[in-house]
Amino acid sequence: MQYPLPIAKLIESYMKLPGIGQKTATRLAFFTLNMEIEDIQDFSKSLVEVKTELHYCSICGNITQEDPCEICRDERVDRSSILVVEQPKDILSFENMGEYFGLYHVLNGVLSPMDGVSVDDLNIKSLIKRLQDHSVKEVILALNSSSEGEATAMYLSKLIKPSGIKVSRLASGLAVGSDIEYADDLTLKRAMTGRQEV
Amino acid sequence: MYLKQLNMVNYRNYKQLNVQFSPNINIFIGKNAQGKTNLLESIYYLAFARSHRTNVDRQLINFESPFAKVSSRIYKRQTSNILELVTSNRGKKASINHLEQKRLSAYIGQLNVVLFSPENLNLIKGSPSQRRRFLDLEFGQIDNRYLISLARYQRILKQRNTFLKKMTYQKEPDFLYLEVLTRQLVDVAAIVIELRLKYLTHLEQMAKDIHFQISNQTETLAFHYQTANYDFKQKNDKQTVVDFLINQFSKVQNREIKLGTTLIGPHRDDINFEINDKDLQSFGSQGQQRSCVLSLKLAEIKLIKQVTHESPILLLDDVLSELDSKRQAALIEIIDEDIQTFITTTDLDSVSKELQHKPTIYEVSNGNLVNKGVKNDPK
Repeated sequence: MQYPLPIAKLIESYMKLPGIGQKTATRLAFFTLNMEIEDIQDFSKSLVEVKTELHYCSICGNITQEDPCEICRDERVDRSSILVVEQPKDILSFENMGEYFGLYHVLNGVLSPMDGVSVDDLNIKSLIKRLQDHSVKEVILALNSSSEGEATAMYLSKLIKPSGIKVSRLASGLAVGSDIEYADDLTLKRAMTGRQEV
Repeated sequence: MYLKQLNMVNYRNYKQLNVQFSPNINIFIGKNAQGKTNLLESIYYLAFARSHRTNVDRQLINFESPFAKVSSRIYKRQTSNILELVTSNRGKKASINHLEQKRLSAYIGQLNVVLFSPENLNLIKGSPSQRRRFLDLEFGQIDNRYLISLARYQRILKQRNTFLKKMTYQKEPDFLYLEVLTRQLVDVAAIVIELRLKYLTHLEQMAKDIHFQISNQTETLAFHYQTANYDFKQKNDKQTVVDFLINQFSKVQNREIKLGTTLIGPHRDDINFEINDKDLQSFGSQGQQRSCVLSLKLAEIKLIKQVTHESPILLLDDVLSELDSKRQAALIEIIDEDIQTFITTTDLDSVSKELQHKPTIYEVSNGNLVNKGVKNDPK
């Protein structure tokens, strides 16, 4: 038996989400059938709005409702440093930390020829443009420590360093609260190289 | 190190098999195409999570079965571990003591195996890729760092090759990014080369002694590791290797962009063998090449013993008939030092009398194994 068209279409839509296969999609679709109409209206409205109301900040590449974004507009932000991240959601991690008060820049990925991502696909040109304004003193690279993330960090530092701006990279090594026992060789090696005097 | 019991389900022509082995010498005897080599292959597979005969895991699964399983308990001096490998069309799952290992690099090395088969006799004459494969497998099973570095190298190499292919057609290629990829590649390449040199030097020392004996004290064997057509010696430290490679890469850059592929690195390196300062590949006789491969294989056993403090398991696939009594004697000398050995043969006559000293003999026919018991000393 085939499902009636509305529910079949809904199942198909759910299956477009990551990690959801046919079974889960079917379960979700039937669950939606029993939801209150207001909830469903809210849900569909936010689905549309996430696409229509949100834009990328023309300065830093973060997602925002108004351009430029909240952080770029904020007068209290320290404008001498820019923290470079891969994804908009990384900004949230740093904001939640509450120890960084500077600007951000979202690359929207990392360089990976295998996946067809080249320099033009990332927000690299806009970053270089931002550095021409002389208020920036330091660029902090906060990219993942995958080999692609590291290549991208190396690329950016080679690009920026000639301008005389300080470029730093996040430290890597042991996670806080973790056991040395469970650390792999590479992590330990990094932790050794980056050890600090106490 | 030895395995006492081997369990197989749907592996090649074995529907279901539970068999006990002797910790000493086990001989599988039977006609052709009965499954003798499949048995050795399954032990090899348990060690490396790949077959030495095929790259297609699907071929290991019995026809019309959804999966194949091989498992065994491996006894070491202090401990024993259960290894299990399940292959299906969804990939393979490797577990140690029933705990699934996410990375194969954590699994490989639990069971150390040295295989000697007739195909190995081509190692000297064959393509460089065969020799690299030999290095990668043997050093990978004794050093986890080697496996991890090699995997990292291959990933960066793939990125670099893809980028070079793109550069071939670009009007204004991004040389800065190429420089970054080269640097990244060189850093890992240096680790791989450093480890290869380290173990190869040990291997050379041991193989040299063995070869000297087999050749009645007349032949001196030597290995040369070649990267970018230069001989490399162990005394090169990592920084020298890095500087050398960067310099070489700058020389071939234009050609690399034109061809769209990486021309230098561990994936292009080779080993040359020499006997009495003469190149073995071009000037060596069949017999010399054979002795060299045997010396190399026996040295491998010693190297594994030295690094892991455990004897590996030796698999001899139909190779005894290829070795004369002198060479078999060299083999026996090593096996005598308590190495669990599995031998396949079509008839016992080709097996030297000394090797028949109390082996356990199994008759293999059509995916079944019959224990013929311990053969008593023929003397």
